[in-house]
Amino acid sequence: MRIRAIARNTFAAFLRNKLLILFLAIFLCVLLLFLTPLLMMRAAARPSSTAISPLIELVSGLLMMVSGFGSLLAAWAAADTVAGEMKSGTILAVMARPVRRWEFLLGKYLGVQMLMAVYILFMLGFTYLVAWIGGASLQTTPWVLIVYPLCRYAVYSALAMFLVNFMHPIAAFGAVLVTSILAWTLEPGSGFFDFVPAVLRSGLYALLPSTELLSEDRFLTITKASLQKIPWGTHAITIGYGLDYALVFFLLAVWAFRRRPLSRD
Amino acid sequence: MPAVIEFENVTKVYRRRFGGMRVTALSNVSFQAGEGEVCAFLGPNGAGKTTSIGLLMGFHFAHAGNIRVLGCAPGDVRAKARIGFLPENFAFYKYFTAPKLLQFHLALTGERRPESAARIPELIAKVRLQGYENLKIGRYSRGMVQRLGLAQALLGNPQLLILDEPTSGLDPTGRREVLELLAALKAEGKTVFLSSHILPEVEQICDHVVILDRGRMVRAGRLQEMAGVGDRVELIADRVPEGLEQTWRERGVIVEQGADKVRIAADMALKREIAEALWSAGCDVQSINPVRSSLQDIFLKLVEHREEPA
Repeated sequence: MRIRAIARNTFAAFLRNKLLILFLAIFLCVLLLFLTPLLMMRAAARPSSTAISPLIELVSGLLMMVSGFGSLLAAWAAADTVAGEMKSGTILAVMARPVRRWEFLLGKYLGVQMLMAVYILFMLGFTYLVAWIGGASLQTTPWVLIVYPLCRYAVYSALAMFLVNFMHPIAAFGAVLVTSILAWTLEPGSGFFDFVPAVLRSGLYALLPSTELLSEDRFLTITKASLQKIPWGTHAITIGYGLDYALVFFLLAVWAFRRRPLSRD
Repeated sequence: MPAVIEFENVTKVYRRRFGGMRVTALSNVSFQAGEGEVCAFLGPNGAGKTTSIGLLMGFHFAHAGNIRVLGCAPGDVRAKARIGFLPENFAFYKYFTAPKLLQFHLALTGERRPESAARIPELIAKVRLQGYENLKIGRYSRGMVQRLGLAQALLGNPQLLILDEPTSGLDPTGRREVLELLAALKAEGKTVFLSSHILPEVEQICDHVVILDRGRMVRAGRLQEMAGVGDRVELIADRVPEGLEQTWRERGVIVEQGADKVRIAADMALKREIAEALWSAGCDVQSINPVRSSLQDIFLKLVEHREEPA
């Protein structure tokens, strides 16, 4: 009941966060710019088979954008929600109640996941809408487009929640951003860090949560916009891998928060 | 009387990160507050009052010493379930209305009984916020926020109230109401632990006083005992013999002429001499009373006379 109350309150606070609303509005405007080429396609009397290809590319780009922005949003929301409570001092009245520190943090974490779930559903709806306006139907299984990003956001938000115990929320956000970029550039075959010894590169890649592995894109055959046939076991292992990272980072956050002095920063 | 709050040789040091300066916020502080008492926690700014309250609530951790609250360690949920807390400068979620905020806090207590939720309008009325139920807290005045803070502290019928500057931001009427409320809570047998700067008001309701200065405890004890330490006396007579008034004034005696009586305030050591001089001159001595030190007198004496720590 306590965790639920904190999670719901965290989610309610996000919906009223002016900065968040502004970011989402800007993001939505950028997405709406995609409508112009789509409407042009629509304007063509008979969409030829070759016209589908740019549409699919557009949808693919859209998914990548949604996905990338979501990771940033998850990290920022997690860092800000804890730091904001400390800065404003609202945490004092909350923690004076019979709430354990891990319960508070879990409530906050679930509030962030609620926000991210709404974000994913909204953006997924938007992606389908864009495809529909362009005159194509996406032959994908939606759960992949929901669960994989959610899993990735769970990792990044837990990491941000851990880091914000030691640093300013902006620095925590930056650190998550650097981590995710690093994880992406360290992927085998990416060609970014070839000058780094292979052992070190592989070690770092194994240590960091893999952006590539947790990406829903790898299950999509973008040229056909259809779901590749992947065994359920592979899905389970990959999601388990992501959730494992999220759990470890969250437990680290709980450990760091356990002895953190609570006062107005 | 069982102790509700126990501080035993508590020391708290704040350390800046990366090997920076160390600040001793509390040094070897020991005191107790008994059940059913109103305990005033006093000290100038920076004395360590809010730090002590933070330690008591489990917001900070002491470097040395032992703290018990309601028989539990600070931060223990069993103790927190029986504590009502009002932080200094109560911060709130601006988007809530008063009933919503109280419902949120009620959910945090884990209380599910319908009668607890039914108490919310009663609490709102108790702190005179009825009529503002639909107004967002962000639009409240400072005094209204403080009153709402008191209402949330009273939620769940706590056994112990810890109030950090409860009358801060309130107008004189509001302050009087808060004092009346605290007196009523005391009558109900609740323990109140409060910090305040407004000593004459605190004096009206408190039983026990703890005075801190620069992180050290300078005095703790029952107010009556502290006030009884007064070393002055007040005599009321119908007149003062001619010639004596000037002599007394030169010796530090205060003589105030009233319409039909004279008030003489002097050191306790001069009591007998003055009384005999008045009786010898045929004056009517109407009363001789020891002057009790006010809490403010005691506080100023203790805090001003303390030497700088080495």
